[in-house]
Amino acid sequence: MKDFFLVFKNLTRKPLRLFLTMFATFVAFLIYGTLTTFQVAIDSGVELSADDRLIAVNKINFTQPLPISYVNRVKGVENITGVTHLNWFGGYYQDPQNVIVMFAVDEGSFLDVYNELIMTDEEISNWMQNRQGLIAGEAIAARLGWSVGDRVPVNSNIFTQSNGSSAWEFDIVGIYSGEDAQTDTNSVYFHYDYFNETQSFGQDYIGFMGIRTADPQLNESVIKAVDDMFANTPFETETVPEKAFNQAFIEQIGNLSLILGSVVFAAFFIILVIVGNSMVLAIRERTGEIGVLKTLGFKSERIFMMVLAESLLLALMSGALGLLATSAVVDLINGITAIQLPVLILKQEIILEAIAIMVALGLITGIIPAVNALRLNIITALSRQ
Amino acid sequence: MGLFSQIWTVVVMNVRSLPQRLWMSLAAVLAVSVVVAVLLSFLAMSNGFASTLGGTGSDSVAIVTRSGSQSELNSVIGRDSVNIVSTAPGIAQDENGQPIYSAELYVVVDGIKKSSGTEVNIPMRGISPEGFALRDRVDVVAGRMFEPGTNEILVGQGVIDQFAGFDLGQEVTFGKTRWSVVGVFSTGGTAFESELWADARLVQDLFNRGNSFQTMRIRLSEPGNVEGISELIENDPRLILDVDTESDYFSSQGEALQGIVFFGWGVSIIMGLGALAGALNTMYTSVASRAGEIATLRAIGFSNVSAFFGTLAESVVLSIIGGVIGALVSYTFMDGLTTATMGPGFTQVVFTFEMSPELFKNGIQLALIIGLVGGFFPAWRAARLPVVTAFRKVA
Repeated sequence: MKDFFLVFKNLTRKPLRLFLTMFATFVAFLIYGTLTTFQVAIDSGVELSADDRLIAVNKINFTQPLPISYVNRVKGVENITGVTHLNWFGGYYQDPQNVIVMFAVDEGSFLDVYNELIMTDEEISNWMQNRQGLIAGEAIAARLGWSVGDRVPVNSNIFTQSNGSSAWEFDIVGIYSGEDAQTDTNSVYFHYDYFNETQSFGQDYIGFMGIRTADPQLNESVIKAVDDMFANTPFETETVPEKAFNQAFIEQIGNLSLILGSVVFAAFFIILVIVGNSMVLAIRERTGEIGVLKTLGFKSERIFMMVLAESLLLALMSGALGLLATSAVVDLINGITAIQLPVLILKQEIILEAIAIMVALGLITGIIPAVNALRLNIITALSRQ
Repeated sequence: MGLFSQIWTVVVMNVRSLPQRLWMSLAAVLAVSVVVAVLLSFLAMSNGFASTLGGTGSDSVAIVTRSGSQSELNSVIGRDSVNIVSTAPGIAQDENGQPIYSAELYVVVDGIKKSSGTEVNIPMRGISPEGFALRDRVDVVAGRMFEPGTNEILVGQGVIDQFAGFDLGQEVTFGKTRWSVVGVFSTGGTAFESELWADARLVQDLFNRGNSFQTMRIRLSEPGNVEGISELIENDPRLILDVDTESDYFSSQGEALQGIVFFGWGVSIIMGLGALAGALNTMYTSVASRAGEIATLRAIGFSNVSAFFGTLAESVVLSIIGGVIGALVSYTFMDGLTTATMGPGFTQVVFTFEMSPELFKNGIQLALIIGLVGGFFPAWRAARLPVVTAFRKVA
């Protein structure tokens, strides 16, 4: 306890330097925390994909269509518990820049295959009964200010109606939430029949199929069965687990984790240099005192531990503040509905990893001055005064 | 001694004594250089992307798309609309008096991104010889031109660099059709190099497009002037189309990575605050270690203004050195780095990171701000250091 008091006194003897060093460390952990929660949120699209769900797309590319007749043929494949189909609508609301992730789907099978979307029974039955009914996720509904009962026009940047208009009228009949806090609720779904009957070209084609298998272990055999069935037709399919599909989609943007990781690394590198340096300096300034402590009978090992404890304490305090600020930033970002952002969660794993980094940082920045203090000869120490 | 020569003397003295405070000074330099390197890397990324797309469009070519379609991919134009638009005034004509235009298709096929090994969207353009003539700098750099009416593909230079599956001589299967890669083309680093080019009619067949196209490119008789065409479109109720010069069209798409600029600045400013704390630390230590020296100078008649500027200059010199190192590091590792990302057209755009004097200036400015703020407060302290106290400290 006495040692701790001494460590604390040493740490706080130069308040300005302490503040500056802590601030620099604080900034690094704020950057680490914020960017890592972003990274985790982006990855959650992959993490949360259902293991027993497959996506079957046109083999040429997923923007190419498939005939709707494929859905019934896939239903006959063994070990499948559900098949549904989705069609990208290219929707936007009011302003062409205000793009909506919007799909025309087969309402009967959709919620069976995508069972992580949660709505009340009443909302579900209203959707089934209303041909122009549309269901929206919590996040997108908040962004566009939609609520159940609204009637809204949505334009498509791909399709036009037979009368030349690109605007479709919809009744918002349900707002779904996700099973998991990070389930994506930025999408909007409406009836394929309404879409298919009103649009002017490409009738009876679908975008892709969602397939639920009886067991993830059977995925391989289902994939082979589906793709073999359509081999050598003008519309060959490529069926992949949803996880792989989502992963590939993110990879199209680029190596985001490399970019975010490099920034975090750079931030920690700066801190390492700044903190390491001021620790060395702080201990050097105390050379005489360490000499006195040793003269008084303090064991070298004890002084070594005290110096390390000081740098550890510094790293842990500022790191904790950085994480605290991160959670404030995360709340702030989650409160933004104006633009589409993933739901950020400061997960326990991130916190634990941060603590591990704090300890590492404390040890690395403390080790050189601690060794110096350990080796310090009393006579040299006192003569340097 | 005049004030300026006093200041100069102190500045020179401080800078010369930097090696005595080597490690502390290095820490400040390093921190600033990392911040500047991070900032410039992000800026070079977005700059490269914008200049690739910005350089793609020509001012003397108009592009016609379906109204509201936002991108070539979503657009549809029927043969009849193409014919009507081709009669518009303001279109350049060839020696036979025919309007110069090219009706094109734009579809997406899978390729493999070399860096990640995953499937990505590669644009495949259905094009005709007229389309080649409309692009200023098309060169077949390897192999040969595709034979119209055959399943042959030309591959952009960028595609060859970044994606697997389209090497010269290779066969590619789309649905039931087989295509062979017969040539590689270059367009001088523009976004067209991220594309596959094939005969428009065959692309129509393969993708069940009947006799429809997606965009129409028109050679303008007067660069930048699309009025004749847009008037014709407005006055004809059958035409629900947009027209723009190709350069405007691509420039607006090049802004897609603007978010990166905000992100880059945001992260760098926050990191800059950390580096600022480091700079302040360094400079306060420097003032403390020079306390005796400052007091001596004051005692022999130097003004406190010279102590102030001496300290400030030390800080600025350190930051500028850091800024220049950071900029050079970023230039060495990032400038010219080629990569691909999902562009606004929902397809991959191959682009090259591009540093510019403008960006370099941005980086140095950021370093300068860190140096000035980081030096100001310690300099203030140096200026107000009571002479007596300072001597006492030394003793």
